[in-house]
Order: sequence, then C-alpha cells, then structure tokens
Amino acid sequence: MLKPLFVFRHALPRKTEIILGIFGFFLFLTIWHMTASSGVIRPEFLPTPFAVAKAFIRLFTERDFASDIIVSVGRVWFAFLLSVVIAVPLGLMMSTYRAVGAILEPFIDFVRYLPVPALVPLLVIWFGVGETSKIAVLWMGTFFQLILLIADDTKRVPTEYIESGHTLGASNGQIMRHIIIPAALPNMIDNLRITLGWCWTYLIIAEIVAANSGIGHMIWSLRRFVKTPEVMAGIIAIGIIGLLTDQAFRFAHARLFSYQRR
Amino acid sequence: MDKFIKVTDVTKTYWSEDGKTETKVVLPLSLTIAEGEMVMFLGPSGCGKTTLMRIIGGLEKQDQGSITLAGDLLAGPDRRRGMVFQSYSSFPWLCVRDNIKFGTRYRKDISAAEKEEITDHYMGMVGLSAYSDFYTNRISGGMRQRVAIARTLASSPDILLMDEPFGALDAQTREHLQFQLMDINKTEKKTTIFVTHDVEEAILLADRVVIFSARPARVVKEIDVNAVIPVQDRRNNKADMQKFFSLRNEILEIIRAEYRQTMEAT
Ligand SMILES: Nc1ncnc2c1ncn2[C@@H]1O[C@H](COP(=O)(O)OP(=O)(O)O)[C@@H](O)[C@H]1O
Ligand SMILES: [Mg+2]
Repeated sequence: MLKPLFVFRHALPRKTEIILGIFGFFLFLTIWHMTASSGVIRPEFLPTPFAVAKAFIRLFTERDFASDIIVSVGRVWFAFLLSVVIAVPLGLMMSTYRAVGAILEPFIDFVRYLPVPALVPLLVIWFGVGETSKIAVLWMGTFFQLILLIADDTKRVPTEYIESGHTLGASNGQIMRHIIIPAALPNMIDNLRITLGWCWTYLIIAEIVAANSGIGHMIWSLRRFVKTPEVMAGIIAIGIIGLLTDQAFRFAHARLFSYQRR
Repeated sequence: MDKFIKVTDVTKTYWSEDGKTETKVVLPLSLTIAEGEMVMFLGPSGCGKTTLMRIIGGLEKQDQGSITLAGDLLAGPDRRRGMVFQSYSSFPWLCVRDNIKFGTRYRKDISAAEKEEITDHYMGMVGLSAYSDFYTNRISGGMRQRVAIARTLASSPDILLMDEPFGALDAQTREHLQFQLMDINKTEKKTTIFVTHDVEEAILLADRVVIFSARPARVVKEIDVNAVIPVQDRRNNKADMQKFFSLRNEILEIIRAEYRQTMEAT
C-alpha cells in the first residue's frame, strides 16, 4: 500500500495527496511551536502559533480587519483587471503583427526593468496618496510583465494552426478568435494567475508607503507597537488569500481546459 | 488534358538574415496539373519540394512567375487549396468530430445540416467515428493525422496539397490511408499534389511522378505511371511487380544522381 510513495513519478490517489499536504503544514507548525516555546527566541520576535491564531481573531474583532481585506482585494483586482484588458489585446497584436511587436518590444523591455518600488515616489508626486497612486503602482508592476507573457503565449501557437485556418477559408479576425485565442488561452490563464500573485507583492509595498487602509497599512502600523503576533497574523492572511485565489484559478483552469488531461 | 493548375516560371530565393547570402530554392520552374490528377513530388531532401508546395498553397510568396487555378491568378491562401501538414495540425481544444467539423466552418455553399452530414461522412471515411468525442491528446499520432486529413477534405478544396503527410505513421496506418486517398482522388476527382520521399509510395499513388533536381529545384523527369502500371491494378493489389520494381529502380537512380550532385557541390 505504501509502495507508490517510493516509485518514481508514480501517481498518488487524490486523498493521499491532500493528507500529505496537510501533514506538511502540521510539520511546519510543530517545528515553529517547538522553537517558539523553547524560550530560545523571545516572544516579541517569535510568538507561538497559538498566540498568532489569537491575534488573528483579535484583528477581526477589535480592529475591523475585514474591511482592510476588502480594500486590499479591491485594489488588487481593480489594478489587475485594468492590466488584463489592455495587455491581452496588445500582447495578441504584438506577436500577430510584427510591426506592433517591433514598436513596443524595446520600450516594454526597458520599462520592465525599472524596479517598481523606485517608481513609487514618482507616482505619489503625480497622483498623490489617494487610490490612484496605489492602482498606478500595481498597474506598473503587472502590465508590462503581462503584455510580454501574453505575447509569448501567442507566439507559441504553432504556425500550422494559423496556416490551416487560412487554407480552411478563415479570415484574419476568424483566425484570431477561433484559432489563436483558444490555442493560447490555457497558457494565458496560467500567466494571469502568476501575475495576480505579483500584484499582491506590489500592493503591500504601495500600502506601506502611502495608505491609511488595507492589509499592508494595518501590518505596518502594528509594527510600531511591536505587536508581532498581529503582524504575523496579517502576513498569514495574505498567504491565505493568495492560496485561495490560486486554487480558484487552478480549479477553473482544470475545468475550462479539461482536454489537456491525459 | 486541361491545364487545371498552371505554374509558370516560378522562382524563389531565400536570403540570410543579414541579406548577404542567398539560397536559390526554386529556379524558373513550370508545371501543369490536370483536374483530378494525383501528382507525386519526389526529389532529394532539401531540394525545395516543400517550398514549391507552399507557394502553390499561397502560404509562401514566389519571387517571380505566376500560378493559376482554373484560369484564376492565385495570391495568398484560401479554401480552394487545402493543405495537410507533415506535423499534426489538429486542434487540441476540440474533440475529433469538432476538429473535422471545423473544416466546414467557413463554407457558405452548404447548410448547417449538410455540414453535420459532411462531418460524419469524412469522420467515417478516416475510420474515426468511434472516437468522435475524444480530444486529440487521447488519440495516436496516426489518428491525429487522419483528423487533419478529414478536416481538410470537409472544407472541400479544389486541390489537396499534402506534404509528407504519412511520414511519421506506422506501416499499417500508412497503407490504409494510402488506399483511402486513392479512393478519394478517383471517386471525388480531387486533384492532389503529394510530396513524399518514399519512392514506392509515389508509384503506388501517382498518376504522374515529378522528380526534382537537387536545389535549386527544377523538373528533371516526369513519369506517367498509368502508362506503366494501370491505376486499377495498383488499387486492387494486382500491380505487375516486375514493372513496379524496375520503375522504382529507375526513379531511385535519378534521385541518387541528383543527391550525388548535392554532395559534390558542398
Ligand atoms: N524560410 C526559409 N528561410 C530560409 N531558407 C529556407 C526557408 N525554408 C526553406 N529554406 C531552405 O530551402 C531549401 C529547400 O527547403 P524545402 O523546400 O523544405 O526542401 P524539401 O521539402 O524538398 O526537403 C532548404 O535548403 C532550406 O534550408
Ligand atoms: Mg519538405
């Protein structure tokens, strides 16, 4: 019964995989708890998992953490969708029409290498400390990466698919809608999922630098009172949100593209 | 013989990226193909068969010369010239039946009901009815190629262009498809140009074999296979094997001579 665990690339039953995943978490928590309660590290630096769990509940009951989460999630999705609706069509165009690619590629490659945190002061000068500057930071951090990822996904559609379309009588627009997009979509959705993850990184930076609401702001202001359990609970909250979003994307991916299953 | 497809003085040269070195792939080359004819292209590898085929299909542009189909000057690809590629070009996001039906998608000459009928007809012809709702990553390479062939046939092209379509298939599948292709060519009078490097395949299928020189391609010899072995005999497995083998050796000798030239030139 344990044999599959020791065979290279042997498939495991779904249930076993879930049990192993939970086991991994518990292993981590146990090591953490043992370290924290051993007294080697002071609790201001490393509280026990239980202290963090209590702080997690306090965040919601005493500090209205739920509205911070809503604000942060709202910012992430607004900026993310704003990136997507512009980057997807442009990315498709970039690798379908060489001229569009030739115009945009060098510029995007340049912008892509500007570290986003370095842009924050500039964006604050331009847009102030309101919502706009936070959205701008997230957008700058994802748009230029996403457009190149989408362009790459489009480029990877085999030429034979497109040429088949031509010889079957499809117009350019039909080839785009009926062949290129369906062919590139699974990889695109995967890249959207990864990009959304980056959005969270930039969100926290933006909220630490210039915000009076949101998860990042909450964590940063608790830091001042050395409320380590609350800070850790805030970080864990980000992890949980990330994990849930990621799983939702994976679930949708598996559903939409079930034809990739072997 | 009416001149259904007329290739006149076509040339093609590829230039290296820096524009300094040129590769002449096709010399002024002329060729005519009659309606319903099955023409096999043979020649040493790298001589320009694929290039010529793609030019006829409108997927590559010739430098000079013209191609006409039933008198119409051709430019760019369209539904009149269906292409079956060497690599499997069936769509992974569609099941077998939807892939084949895709061939009818842009046809305006038939009704929706007829599209369903045609789809089922060709799906049956390539022997895939039992796999109707299988996605293509669940079927073998040979079956994927059959999907691509059925899809092209469902689009009802005037000419069928096939570039080494059976190259990667196992022997049984290949033979099965060879005979089906002969049937389609004869019963539907579907003009077919077929590139192969397999001389026996060429003789089996051809009305006419066209042998190209080493690059740049020009026509070295055309052989009317029907005059040597009637197509009926080949379809019924009753070909005179003596004639079959002497024709094979004759063709192989020509290709070998061309191949030697390539080796000496480099
Ligand atoms: N897009 C291209 N750019 C440059 N050279 C090419 C291109 N396509 C083909 N060639 C060259 O043209 C020659 C003929 O190629 P091809 O038509 O594929 O030959 P065949 O199909 O007879 O083997 C080869 O030497 C090949 O390297
Ligand atoms: Mg070739």
